[in-house]
Amino acid sequence: MDTSSPAVLVNGELLPMHVGKRVRAVIQVLRSDGSGTVTGKSTDGQQIFVKGHPPAPLSTFVEVIGIADSNQSVRADIWTNFGDVFDTQGYNHICQLANGEYKHLFI
Amino acid sequence: MFSSSQIDVAGGGFSSSQTTDSSRSSAKSRDAQPMVPVTVKQISDAVLSTDDKSSFKIDGVDVKNVMLVGMAFNKSEKVTDVQFEIDDGTGRIGCLRWINDAVDTKEVGRVEDGKYVRVHGLLKALQGKKQLQVFAIRPLNNYDELSSHFLACIHYHSFNTRRNGVIAPSQVHNPISAVSTPVNGHKSSSSNQFYGEYSTDGLKGIDKMVIEYLEQPSSVAQEKGVHRNEIAQHLKIPLEKILETIESLESEGLIYSTIDECHYKSTTCG
Repeated sequence: MDTSSPAVLVNGELLPMHVGKRVRAVIQVLRSDGSGTVTGKSTDGQQIFVKGHPPAPLSTFVEVIGIADSNQSVRADIWTNFGDVFDTQGYNHICQLANGEYKHLFI
Repeated sequence: MFSSSQIDVAGGGFSSSQTTDSSRSSAKSRDAQPMVPVTVKQISDAVLSTDDKSSFKIDGVDVKNVMLVGMAFNKSEKVTDVQFEIDDGTGRIGCLRWINDAVDTKEVGRVEDGKYVRVHGLLKALQGKKQLQVFAIRPLNNYDELSSHFLACIHYHSFNTRRNGVIAPSQVHNPISAVSTPVNGHKSSSSNQFYGEYSTDGLKGIDKMVIEYLEQPSSVAQEKGVHRNEIAQHLKIPLEKILETIESLESEGLIYSTIDECHYKSTTCG
């Protein structure tokens, strides 16, 4: 990871606003093909594709941190298994707050 | 430099009494300087407090002890201490944890690069760079802690900025007389009216009114306390709202019931 380069908390809706920037998101893994692309559902229910070197095995929820390379995909360099139980609603809410009213606390 | 005898980190617990030479002042003022949940961005925006040179100002409040949740990186272990960086997605900060005994060693042993951890520490500035002197560090139990930590940062920030931003000179020394508007008026007027320099900052309008009514000398003088119907009548607020308020004030320890569940007195006055 680059030193002190912040990663914006995003969900499916916010990802297109940060294309080209460093982002982080938690996704629910839908499927993973062998060649390093994971199809996931963002915390607001949209489909996101994540490319990189996922860990094996992948848990149900994974946090990915990397560069958003399109409206719907992220090239992730950090993958963290978040387990099989996760409060997506809470995280989604945080994404909205961190990009809205409380942006100055995060970026 | 800090000698090991000054540091008490037994059991890996954390409280402001575990800070080093500032322990005396922070133990005394523990209520005034709580452990504040922050993001690294907030820390980097903080300035050295002018009143107290050993603390920082975040959102206008003096802060010494902070809580962070993030990923550990660049862990470097030495005999007497462990250094690492915490990255919470908003920035990175260097951390230092002194190692005194086996408990400490075990605690830092659980920290690995790339793992999410929660740290509690003292905010310090060394040669212009901010650093965290860590009392306690542990891996996250579950990742919902990440969301709830950010929420806590937002809440704390919101609470402080609202309080500091809303104190205006003229108002609120006699809110009871200021409120002759009906309950609807409450909701439409901004809650600005009810925040002031009381220690009950942060209470909503009706809560404040009830507390203030109970703090009036005439209420305090009544040994039996004040009947809730009387509060409702006097403040011209529907009884159900008063009941809700009473419940929340009681759970916060600001009022207590006296001869029965209908009579209340303020805990801070009388």
